[in-house]
Amino acid sequence: MYMTIQRRQFLKAGMVVAGGAAAGMLTRSHAATDESTKSSGRPAGEATLALTAEGDLVLASAPSGASSHASDEARRGVPGKKWVMVIDLAACDGCGKCSAACSKSHFVPADREYLRIFKMQDSADTAPYWLPRPCFHCDNPPCARVCPVGATFKRDDGIVLIDNERCIGCRFCMAACPFTARSFNWSRPDNSPAAEAKGYSPEWGYPRRVGTAEKCDFCADMAREGKLPHCSGTCPMGAIYFGDENEDAVTNSKGDTVQLSKLLRDRAGFRYMEDLGTQPRVHYLPPADRRYPAPGERGANTLNASKGATQR
Amino acid sequence: MSAMPWPVDPPALRKLGESHEAVVERDLLATLDPLGRRGRVWIAGLASVVGCALVAWIYQLVHGLRVTDMGNVVSWGTYMTNFVFFIGISHAGTLISAILRVTDAGWRRPITRMAEAITCIALLVGASMVVIDMGRPDRALNLLLHGRFQSPILWDLVSVTTYLTGSFFYLYVAMIPDMPLLAKHAREHGRSPRLVRMYEILSLGYRESPEHRRLLARALGAMAVIIIPVAISVHTVVSWVFGMTLRPGWHSTIFGPYFVIGAIFSGTAALITAMVIFRKAYHLEAYLRPEHFHKLSKILLALSLLYAYFTLSEYLTTWYGGTEIDVRLLALLAGNGTVGAVFWLWATFGLFVPIGLLLFPSKRSMGSIMTASILINIGMWVKRYLIIVPTLETPFIPAQNAGITPHYFPSLIECTITAGAFAGFVLLYILFSRIFPILSIWETAEELEEVEHATVRAPVKMPGRAMPAALPLLLVAVGLSVLSPWTTARAQAPAAPASTTHIDLKRTTEDKEEMLVATVTANGRPVAGAVVVFSVLRKFGTMALGEDQTLSDGTAAVKYPHGLPGDSHGEQTFSIEVRSPPALAVPPVQVILGGAEPVRITPVEVPRALWSTRVPLALVGTIMALLLCVWSTYGFVVSQLVAMYRLPKEG
Repeated sequence: MYMTIQRRQFLKAGMVVAGGAAAGMLTRSHAATDESTKSSGRPAGEATLALTAEGDLVLASAPSGASSHASDEARRGVPGKKWVMVIDLAACDGCGKCSAACSKSHFVPADREYLRIFKMQDSADTAPYWLPRPCFHCDNPPCARVCPVGATFKRDDGIVLIDNERCIGCRFCMAACPFTARSFNWSRPDNSPAAEAKGYSPEWGYPRRVGTAEKCDFCADMAREGKLPHCSGTCPMGAIYFGDENEDAVTNSKGDTVQLSKLLRDRAGFRYMEDLGTQPRVHYLPPADRRYPAPGERGANTLNASKGATQR
Repeated sequence: MSAMPWPVDPPALRKLGESHEAVVERDLLATLDPLGRRGRVWIAGLASVVGCALVAWIYQLVHGLRVTDMGNVVSWGTYMTNFVFFIGISHAGTLISAILRVTDAGWRRPITRMAEAITCIALLVGASMVVIDMGRPDRALNLLLHGRFQSPILWDLVSVTTYLTGSFFYLYVAMIPDMPLLAKHAREHGRSPRLVRMYEILSLGYRESPEHRRLLARALGAMAVIIIPVAISVHTVVSWVFGMTLRPGWHSTIFGPYFVIGAIFSGTAALITAMVIFRKAYHLEAYLRPEHFHKLSKILLALSLLYAYFTLSEYLTTWYGGTEIDVRLLALLAGNGTVGAVFWLWATFGLFVPIGLLLFPSKRSMGSIMTASILINIGMWVKRYLIIVPTLETPFIPAQNAGITPHYFPSLIECTITAGAFAGFVLLYILFSRIFPILSIWETAEELEEVEHATVRAPVKMPGRAMPAALPLLLVAVGLSVLSPWTTARAQAPAAPASTTHIDLKRTTEDKEEMLVATVTANGRPVAGAVVVFSVLRKFGTMALGEDQTLSDGTAAVKYPHGLPGDSHGEQTFSIEVRSPPALAVPPVQVILGGAEPVRITPVEVPRALWSTRVPLALVGTIMALLLCVWSTYGFVVSQLVAMYRLPKEG
């Protein structure tokens, strides 16, 4: 443990210069092997630093380059998977527990939300509804298109992630995202000891770094372990389904596992702003026959009024 | 060649019987004389503003961009406005100098250098604005290490670098004939030997000879031609940073030409403003004469009409089409609020009033031209702000729907840094004019040689000697190492329950329908009337398939889930549970059956796409071809200069 932290601080101090890159890479990959062998007692997050896939020790590719970068594994994703989310607008009552659980588990500061709930009404004649908006992890992601350095990237398993060790903070991705799904570390982050202890991976996005972008990560590390994302697992209404498109199944917090294709077909699933051509990996089920009071109705939830003051 | 009587010699000097050339030389070299008190105060004042901006930037580096008023909704603001503004100003040099040089307009001569210097300095200031806007300027090198050519920012980087290099070349080549004069002047006036040495080195041994003239004309001719498309590309690409997004008010097909016209428009206004100031400060009334202002004001008028036309077509089509998001943007941009007020103020004082001031030749005076130019300068900064901020305040899903009010107003730090940018621009410009005469001596004097001894224009040929595209174009080749084969963790049937109940699962065909049949036996005998629940395992849970009661032979059946993929071998893990009677209830038993449709896994090969790590070949090929054209022309210019340097020296 002590060794690890020391090494991280060493890297953080920017002492690894390009001159010593080649030698440094060699020694670093050895160091990683040593660590992985004695990592048993450490928190789960450390395991990914050792680059194991499903318990297999795959150390073929150590973190590359002079500066530290996301491991290949975090950049490529879980092989054979295509993560997908379905949000049932007929079941969402706008309680915001998904967003709260997400923020808590990702240590999200108060000035932002990865999963934001909007109060929508498409026209004066149609009923209002709640729209929970995570990152859509688009298959044609406008953010990844414009990133000048490949800090935001799309993985083979469909997840769009951000490497905050490479991000230069130009915020082009934020301007390019039509859904305002991204946030920025405007000030120096106040990382909790727990966040620091886990160590960084784009799969969970913390500890944060000043001057870098971040967003919903589909809980990439949870999916790897077969656990639902925090939002999906928390939703008291079971409104957020998550699953693998290849398996043609999605599961919600109630433990309902349903056939994705059938669900989308039977419930007339749609993707938000399909006309923009970004091909989101998040589907919605229309708010027909709602099982909750709509926004503005008696007994309906209200948005957190203090948001306006802290969020911009 | 222009037949204009230019320059009109100051009558007082005429009397002394000096030659035109001597007068020009003396007048223009006089601008390099040590500054008076007022000049020094100005320099000190500007330098202190720049100093304040540097302190503000350090403060921002320490505390992060939180010291600005930007937020997650309005994520670009004043710095990007400054960037677009200064890159726009930089187009002054191209239009006046290059276009007028290519079209051989004689009256350009006293103003080319002023224009070219604006280009170089505005580019430096504009580029620094991007660095200041970056969250991690310390990682700027990542643009070279990991640069993606799919990103308009890379296009910006490449084209601005190319433009900056070209502009410095262009400025320098046109200054070469003045260098020997400057060296002589500096020596005679007892300036520092280092300055003299610098002038001498920069002169490349130039002297008045047909061979030197020929080489210079070729270099200058090639530069003037190539810098025009480069300049157009720069502001086109700047517009595409906005145009390539899907945002309302940005995602517009006319954004390229709209920005280019806007750039030349503001650049010309900046040039006129600079001319007015230098004319007065350096007493250049005899050289920067009313007719220059009049000619430029016609260009400015044409550009302001063009800009008004582009503005009209942009907003009229948006308004008439009236999609929901466009209507929302226009309601903000031209509506009743503060932004709307600023927009109409801009339209009035940044566009209509200048057009009015410039429209009627009889009303055109030095004062009105200057007023129009200054109004246009301010207006074009405001216009860029109006392009950037209101669009960001209008996301597709209104932030208000989440209880958030997007707002943006430049913070003190942003204002200080902006003031520093403007002060720095002026300061660098003044410092340039202290070292090099702001008016080209040789070109101004050249106009006096009325004879046909006019310079032979260099035939614009493509170079015979290609120089490798020298930009550090580092493509990150993402080595896709072979994926470690993924094997779905196969659920193993748990150890048989202590109960003697046994479940057997088969896939059979009954009446042409495929069924999943479970046979329940207890102590070897079939159990009738037991409720069997069928489900199939998925990544995050078990998907229910249905339940059935066992018949007398102990079998229960549900339809086989057709179309539900198994693993890569077509195997599926079913979970079978006997729910009742309670005596027989067993926990779920997992059984693996083959024969399902194998999972369809999309190939992992990363396509060449705009979003992927692999660049589309057509894109990178186009960029490389364009760069090769431009940089080989630069190479040709360098080759001419080298040839000039190698010519036999005088004496």
